Amino acid sequence: MIAIIDYGMGNLLSVLKAFEHLGEEARVIATPARLADATHVVLPGVGAFPDAMAALTKNGWVDALQREVVEGGKPFLGVCLGMQLLAEFGEENVHCSGLAWIRGGVRRFVLNPKQYKVPHVGWNEITPVDDSLLFRGLGPGATFYFVHSYHMICEDKTDIAAYCDYGYPFPAAIRRGNIFATQFHPEKSQDNGLKVLENFLAYRGA
Amino acid sequence: MASRYWKIFLLTEGHDCGEKMLKKRLIPKLLLKEGRTVKGVAFQDLRDVGNPVTNARIYNAQGADELIFLDITASQEKRNILYDIIARTAEECFMPFTAGGGVRSLEDVRQLLLAGADKVSVNTAAVEHPEFMREAAQRFGRQCMVGAVDFKKESNGVYRIYTHGGTVQVEKDPLTWCDELQELGVGEILLTSIDRDGTNTGIDLELTRKVADAVDVPVIASGGVGSLAHLAEGFQDGHASALAVGSLFHFTDQSPIKCQFYLKGEGIDVRVGQ
Amino acid sequence: MKICSRCMIPETHETIMFDGEGVCNVCRQQEVKQEKIDWTTRGRDLVELIEQYRGKNEYDCLIPFSGGKDSTYTVYKLVTEYKVKPLVVSFDHGFLRPRISENNVRTMRKLGVDFLKFTPNWQVVRKIMLESLRRKGDFCWHCHTGIFAYPMQIAVKHNIPLIFWGEPSAEYTSYYSYDNPEEVDEKRFNRFVNLGIAAEDMLGMLDGSITMRDLEPFKYPKLKELRGIGYRSVCLGSYIPWDVKQNVAIIKRELGWQEDDVEGVPPDYRYEKVECMLQGVRDYCKYLKRGYARVSHLTSIDIRNGRLSREAAVEAVKRYEGNRPASLNYFLNLLDITEEEFNGILRKHVVSPHQWPDPSSLPRGEKLHDQDLWPKP
Repeated sequence: MIAIIDYGMGNLLSVLKAFEHLGEEARVIATPARLADATHVVLPGVGAFPDAMAALTKNGWVDALQREVVEGGKPFLGVCLGMQLLAEFGEENVHCSGLAWIRGGVRRFVLNPKQYKVPHVGWNEITPVDDSLLFRGLGPGATFYFVHSYHMICEDKTDIAAYCDYGYPFPAAIRRGNIFATQFHPEKSQDNGLKVLENFLAYRGA
Repeated sequence: MASRYWKIFLLTEGHDCGEKMLKKRLIPKLLLKEGRTVKGVAFQDLRDVGNPVTNARIYNAQGADELIFLDITASQEKRNILYDIIARTAEECFMPFTAGGGVRSLEDVRQLLLAGADKVSVNTAAVEHPEFMREAAQRFGRQCMVGAVDFKKESNGVYRIYTHGGTVQVEKDPLTWCDELQELGVGEILLTSIDRDGTNTGIDLELTRKVADAVDVPVIASGGVGSLAHLAEGFQDGHASALAVGSLFHFTDQSPIKCQFYLKGEGIDVRVGQ
Repeated sequence: MKICSRCMIPETHETIMFDGEGVCNVCRQQEVKQEKIDWTTRGRDLVELIEQYRGKNEYDCLIPFSGGKDSTYTVYKLVTEYKVKPLVVSFDHGFLRPRISENNVRTMRKLGVDFLKFTPNWQVVRKIMLESLRRKGDFCWHCHTGIFAYPMQIAVKHNIPLIFWGEPSAEYTSYYSYDNPEEVDEKRFNRFVNLGIAAEDMLGMLDGSITMRDLEPFKYPKLKELRGIGYRSVCLGSYIPWDVKQNVAIIKRELGWQEDDVEGVPPDYRYEKVECMLQGVRDYCKYLKRGYARVSHLTSIDIRNGRLSREAAVEAVKRYEGNRPASLNYFLNLLDITEEEFNGILRKHVVSPHQWPDPSSLPRGEKLHDQDLWPKP
């Protein structure tokens, strides 16, 4: 059972429908206790870093996720803001601590606005690192849908599963053991996105 | 902290991504009236062009980058039809949707996002109460809010914006208003020429370029695309990040994927056939 | 108009792109087909696929059929070489020529197969044809959709999950490629087959007399239903290299398949599109809109297979393409429109940079031998 976390931030419907379309059993869960039943955990996210962290903390998700995912080894997928929250700190309006599962931080794109518009919106190509599990079966130059003004910075480059280039390369996806995340929206990236979700589901745990 | 930050930043810089860039987007625009998709000229003489859910499914298969649903149903009670359409589309089409038309309150925005829309487009409400836009952007996130700007080029050559479905002229020039919208926190601007809409004479390149060059957010240009050449112009001369297209797809046998092959052949970076 | 430096297809062809040498992507796909595909492995995949479904249901597979060269070859190959028991399903678009019907009886009897044919309501089809012509400059919506949707409905109804089509689309366009062979599914149906119009869309475009029930034959079955039977819908040409001239020679020899005269096409190609009375008008529409038509396609295929020189192709196109077909009169009568109205509709669909030709200046084609036998409206 794929558990999609509802913490008040994120387009849950599309994520749910995407898994259903793949023929998988997925459920939106509103309480951390339900994580125990899950085989896979998904953390979507749209909105601001500090608000998201506040919501996760308030509802007891932080500890439950630490237990089930970090210690328990359950396969985990963070999407968009759900990827950024894995960092040690974020920087939107106010400096804020993240889940700190991945070493590094989050910052706004540093770009010349005359050349690169922010938010980064639309379809862009990713470059997976060799043999990345998430991108198996996808050809070179596969595009995915991005919509964000902030991106992650990974201190440990081996955490990076794919890069995207927008003015400069930034992490498009990360993986650390059972923890996966994508900056792009797989549930909005048509066939390529569905393939990434399929690949994630094929991973059954450490 | 700042110096540590910069060092981390440089660590990711080394990876070579080559010449990859963000793709230009083709976005089919669907005008909805009481549950059917319609299309006319300058919002008049509307003809039935299909069932929105099957339209969406078809555009999805035809490689469209996103979809825009604009509801022009007169009655507020019939709003549920729109939510239902979005929800049913979301079941099988895994691509971004923008929904708009008659969005007046934060609750309207919330309902649309809940129904499955990724972005909400606002015109009249933002013009009448700009702070509404700021609040919405703060509450739901910048990337969820699209500032819809309808405009006409008046007979004296001056540009003016319009609200209420193209019926009420406002004493404001589009360029100024787009700047304000950016400051209020929109993530994108949907710039529509009402007088060119449905005429197949091409988009307003002059204003589109001015706005696209002036603002820092992406501009989706709309109104007037009638041929493949208009698409190329819209990107190359108009500097649009995306083009919203109606008539070309409804009344000719052009489709997103066919247009993508053409644009790629013209050297414009688009997705092709995904 | 820019034309491929190798074949005869111009820039107005859908999905065409020319590379640095001016060679089109369809020609390049032929290179992939001839040089990069491991057809031995594909052949093994075909056997494996058939075995997966053999004997599990009333029929081993379903073969959609028109009676043209491609579907006739497909039935022949699968029955005689792979020994399948198929249900052969024909969606009758309403314009099957007499000789084709003779061919079909001979084919079915010789091969020994069950054959199901469906003809939709002509009064409905007639209205659809005119609307389709208006919206897309292509009057064949009912045929495109019926041919691809109806057999899928039968597959669901009769629980026949394996469906074999014939020629892969990569022979003509780049919606799909040889290295990425298509599944003949709803995505493909929506991508280009149905002209961007589903049955639910067509409903609102016609007058109130047509209901959703009337449009059922043109509706693609729900994905849930197809998944429910475990469907696989593929092209035979994705597993064995498609060679039209060779295929025609085989069906002539083994089944006594007969060619026929075809409007506006050189005599060497009398195997092409023999199954439709309106082929001439269809080609004419394409010529008016895009400035090229069937002769360009046929000669291009021969060029890509090393059977024709470019010079000879240019000659053939110059000589045979762009005639006003005699059957246009029949067509106009069928839909009760004038030639002015017809021209007026198509003029709006011209694909630039092709310019609208003056129809009165085009040479007139000869009437086909069976045209007077075709059914009246």
